[in-house]
Formats: sequence, structure tokens, C-alpha cells
Amino acid sequence: MSKILSVRNLHVCFTLRGRELHALRGVDLDVEDGESLAIVGESGSGKSVLNKNFIGLLDQNGRVTDGEIRYYGMGDKLRHYQGAGMDENGNYIDLAAFKKNEDWLRIRGSEICMIPQDPMTSLNPLKSIGWQISEALMLHRGMKGKMAYEETIRILEDVRIDDPRRRFRQYPHELSGGMRQRVVIAIAIACNPRILICDEPTTALDVTIQAQVLHLLRELKEKYRLTIIFITHDLGVVANIADRVAVMYAGDIIEIGLVEEIFYDPRHPYTWALLSSLPQLGHRGEELYAIQGTPPNLFQQVTGDAFAPRNPQALVIDSLQAPPYFEISPTHRAKTWLLDERAPSLTPPEALRKVRDLGKATKGGAEDGRA
Amino acid sequence: MEEREVILSVRGLYVRFGHGRNRFEAVKNASFDIYRGETFGIVGESGSGKTTIGRAIIRVYPASAGSIRFHGEEITGRLPKEKRRALTNQIQMIFQDPMASLNERAKIDYIVSEGLQGRGIPPEEIRERVGRAMRDVGLLPEFASRFPHEFSGGQRQRIGIARALVMNPEFIIADEPISALDVSIRAQVLNLMSQLQKEHGLTYLFISHDLSVMRFICDRIAVIHKGTIVEMAETEALFAHPLHPYTRALLSAIPQPNPEAEKHKTLEVYDPTQHHYEINVPGWNEVEKGHWLRANQEELEKALAALHETK
Repeated sequence: MSKILSVRNLHVCFTLRGRELHALRGVDLDVEDGESLAIVGESGSGKSVLNKNFIGLLDQNGRVTDGEIRYYGMGDKLRHYQGAGMDENGNYIDLAAFKKNEDWLRIRGSEICMIPQDPMTSLNPLKSIGWQISEALMLHRGMKGKMAYEETIRILEDVRIDDPRRRFRQYPHELSGGMRQRVVIAIAIACNPRILICDEPTTALDVTIQAQVLHLLRELKEKYRLTIIFITHDLGVVANIADRVAVMYAGDIIEIGLVEEIFYDPRHPYTWALLSSLPQLGHRGEELYAIQGTPPNLFQQVTGDAFAPRNPQALVIDSLQAPPYFEISPTHRAKTWLLDERAPSLTPPEALRKVRDLGKATKGGAEDGRA
Repeated sequence: MEEREVILSVRGLYVRFGHGRNRFEAVKNASFDIYRGETFGIVGESGSGKTTIGRAIIRVYPASAGSIRFHGEEITGRLPKEKRRALTNQIQMIFQDPMASLNERAKIDYIVSEGLQGRGIPPEEIRERVGRAMRDVGLLPEFASRFPHEFSGGQRQRIGIARALVMNPEFIIADEPISALDVSIRAQVLNLMSQLQKEHGLTYLFISHDLSVMRFICDRIAVIHKGTIVEMAETEALFAHPLHPYTRALLSAIPQPNPEAEKHKTLEVYDPTQHHYEINVPGWNEVEKGHWLRANQEELEKALAALHETK
């Protein structure tokens, strides 16, 4: 696999009431072509801010203060490319160097596309859903008339909306929440992007509908060879859809690895805490593991490990110096001093053993089934 | 199982909205008992009527038919003023979104004390009770003079709980109390709710769409679909032997923190047309002790056979 997007030491600041909020603090991230990457974190951890950088939708008061976002997905189109952010050797475009809205028009939609969180508010209530999907086809793929209509019908079938010719003329208020989310996905697909960013696409939906939409996204990923970046705080959803998981805390990725590595062998205390606080792992009548305190105030300079104040087992060095990435395997790395060879060995909480045992049981079961 | 005291008893409850062609039955023939000191859960999708049941109990929506008895006394329909006041003390509610349910212009001590105002309670006692409620939910006394916008989501939900607690209720309706909260905060609020239940001997009606949370906090669960309760059982029995196809569909959709299982998972989809209720009318049957199922004769026999097989 090759890289499609590569973030290098990205810093983003917001100016709020005359104060500086350091929302992203040196993020490094590689996104492989054709994978689905989940980004998990609490609200305010910077997961949405990171992704808004990829499509140039950062709020007015925010700006990139340092770092690069290299986009490798242009391929042959890059030869005719004239605009900001071009690499000297012609391998990539640096999205962080974009200044004008015209620059973004080449990327937004046709290369990188975003599915917003709430399907209730992201569709135009005055236009039929067919019109809204065809609009994307006309703008991004130059289709017209009959051709655009037929393509819209085909896309509606792809997102599993039945009776597409009738649905074409319907308006958003005539559809249920799950159907609306499918229409939003259809609009994104119509642009034929390389990367699809899904910002909590299922939180506003019911559990049963949520599972169906996740299934649909997996199908579309295969069919359209999409790279999917998934923003969520629901670890159950992550287990369902992701190949790799990045855990964000206080504006930085503190652990990243394959989904199996994050769930069965997490290393950062924050990842431990997140997993242990899942009600699926608790016993009724017992106390559920809860993370104490609140995330750090990013108006102030963070020294050391940002999670240390909430970590009951923090080491002395955690409050003095920020940990670098430690590699656990070629695909798995974490920013915690616990992985340093001088650190004491801590046993992860009890609940995590349960996740691992669950995994072993299903894995063993599946293998038995095959034999 | 020994006889437990029934605190709330709902029988044949209907809630209807609108008239004539626009008439809509949000709750159809709901019957259940809630015992003292337990946590009773109602789970269903949005629009299934679970919130409507909660609101009918707290008398926000009038019941169209059926009865709701609290401590054996009817609480639907017209009631004398003293009775209504007493009920406000005894039944309280915790709301879903702590960002929307607190008065932005009032200070915390007023928000928490609002239910006690205008009842002839001396100010010293009000102050004392507010202080106690805030301490109980883990808020510092100096927060009393602040405004809601100064607090995070988890703390706001604590304020919402304190506001209910200050009335010294016996019964609390919690309508999706943690759905709007962040993952790391959810555990804190769930723990707080169980701790308060132990300390104050509270009874909860817990309304949610999230079965994984329900499994953790509820003693018994009722599953509601389109206004009709389709299955009701003790939590463990419901998870071990789900009998109604809709319950099974809900259970199969719960996301598990287990990538291996999630990759091979098969989704069950509930199709209401699979029942043939127009010929064979369904009833509300007790298939085993404490496990109720809505089914017709044919389905009931199948369910009983399946139940014996798994045991």
C-alpha cells in the first residue's frame, strides 16, 4: 500500500477573545491508500479540527501555524496542476500551504469529501434529493441532463435506497433519518472522491440503523476503492469498521495501531482508561471504571504528558517532559514513558483482559469453524 | 422470588395525540410494574414511545386510557392540588441534554432550589437542602453562585441530578441521561446514579436506546417497538434468551469492543410483516417467571420450545 495523505508536525491555533488556543500540537499521521482509519477521542481532543484541515473548512479564527499536509492522491492530474502548495519534485500537494478558496475547489469534493454528522441539518429542505445528488455530478463530473439522471439513479441504488426513480423526486422531510444519511452518503459518492471523511456519521441514528449504515459504508469502500477516515467517540463503531485506529488526546495522537493492536494490546494509559470505561465491560452492581478530572485547558502551555494529571499512576517524568513515540511493532506506536526501558512495568486494568479474552474466544471459534 | 413492593403500576396505558385523521397512538396498551429500589429500563428506537411513557407517568402528557398507580393510588386524570404537589416531590426527572435543560440566566443555587420555592419552606432550610444535594452529586459548595455556561457537560448533568434530588424523591425518571455526554464522562454519571440509588433508596425508570448501557445499569428491561411493549424480562434473561425477533435484532446491533467478532457479525433485521396478527391476535404472555412476551399462540409455542432447548 502507498500513502495517500501524510500529516507532518501539524500545529493549529485558534484566536478566541484575544487568547491563543493551541488545538493541534504537532500531529504526525500517515493515511494509506484504501484503508479505513478511525480517529477516536473525547470532544475537544482535536479530531474534528484535524479533519477540517484536510478540506479547508477550518473556522475563520483558526490557522495552521506550522507543519505540512501532503496529499499524494492527485496522480497524473498533478502534471497540469497550477496552484499553491506544489512539491518541487511533483509528488504531492501541501494542503497546509493553501491560501485561497480557489485552491480548495480542486480538492474539496472531487478528491476529499466529508460526510457531516447530522443528516437532519445537512440537506437542503427546498430541493428534491435527486436534484441535490445531480448537482454534485454536474459540478464535479461535468454531467448533464439524461446522463446525470441515470447516474443519480445508479448511485441511489448503490446506497441501497429502493425505488430510486420515485425517491429522486422526494424531499428530505419525506425520508427517515437513516435514509437521509444514505442520501448524504450518495452526494459524497457522486463527487467520486479518493478520501471520504465521516464525522460521527452514525451518532444521530438508532442502533439498528447505525449498524446498517456502517455495513453500507464498508460495501461502498470496496466498490469505489475509497479511503475512509472515521471520526468517532464510539469504540464499538471503531471495532466494526476500522483497519487502523488513532487515539487523540489534547490535540495530539497518543497511540496509533491496527485495530487488533489497539483493542487487544493497548499501551497508553489513556487508551486503557477509554476501553475500561465501556459499559459493555462492566458488571451490574459494581462500579464502572471512570476517568477522573477533565481534559487539559489548551489555552495554557501543556508540559509533559497531557494525560498525566488525570492518570493516577503517572510517573514523575510525565509532568516534566513530553514522551516521544515508542514503537511496539512496525504498525503500532504510542506516546507514553511507560514504554521506555527504564520505566516500571505496570499491569493494565482488569477490564482489558476481558477484551483480550473475548477476542481470543472469537478468533479460536472462527478457526474451529473453518477446520 | 419473594414478594417485592410495587411502587408504580401501569396497566393498559394508551397515549394518543391529535384528532380524527391525524390521530396517532404513541403508546398502545403498555402494562408493567416497577418495584421499589430497582432500575427498570425501557429501550426502543426514536419514535417508539419510550419517552412518552415517561412523560405520561410524570403527568406532562395525559393518559388517554388505562391507569397509572403510584403506591396503589391512581395518578392519571384530575387530581387535587395537594396531591399534585406531593407527586412533584415524589417523582422527579433527569433530562437528556444538560446543555439545553438548564436555565442559562439563573445561577446554580437557584436552578437547584427552584422546585422548593413557593412552598412555604424557610430560606435556611432551602439553602441547607440545596447544599446537601450538591454535595451528594459531587459538586463543590462554591459552585452555587456560578452560571451553567461555566460548567462542562458532565458537571451540568450533575446539576440536573441535584435538581431532581433536592426534592427528596422516591422515584426518578431518567430520560437518556448519558446519551449526550462524552464517553469518559458517561462512566462517571452512571456510577453517580448507582451510588445515589444505594444511599437514598431510589427507584429509577431508565429510558435509553443503548442496550449496552442498559445491561450495565438495569435490573429489568422492557423492549418497546412502535408504541407496543414486545418483550419484558430481567436483564440477564433478556440477554441470554431474547425471544421476540425485534429484541434479537436490537441485540445483534449492539456494537462490541471486539474487532474479531465485529468483522464476522451477522445483523438480524426485524421485519414486522413476519407476524400474522390479523388472523391470530397476539397476547401478552408470561413465558417463564418474570419474562413476558407479546406473541400469538403459534409464536408462543415456538418461543417455549426454543426456551427449553437453550436450557
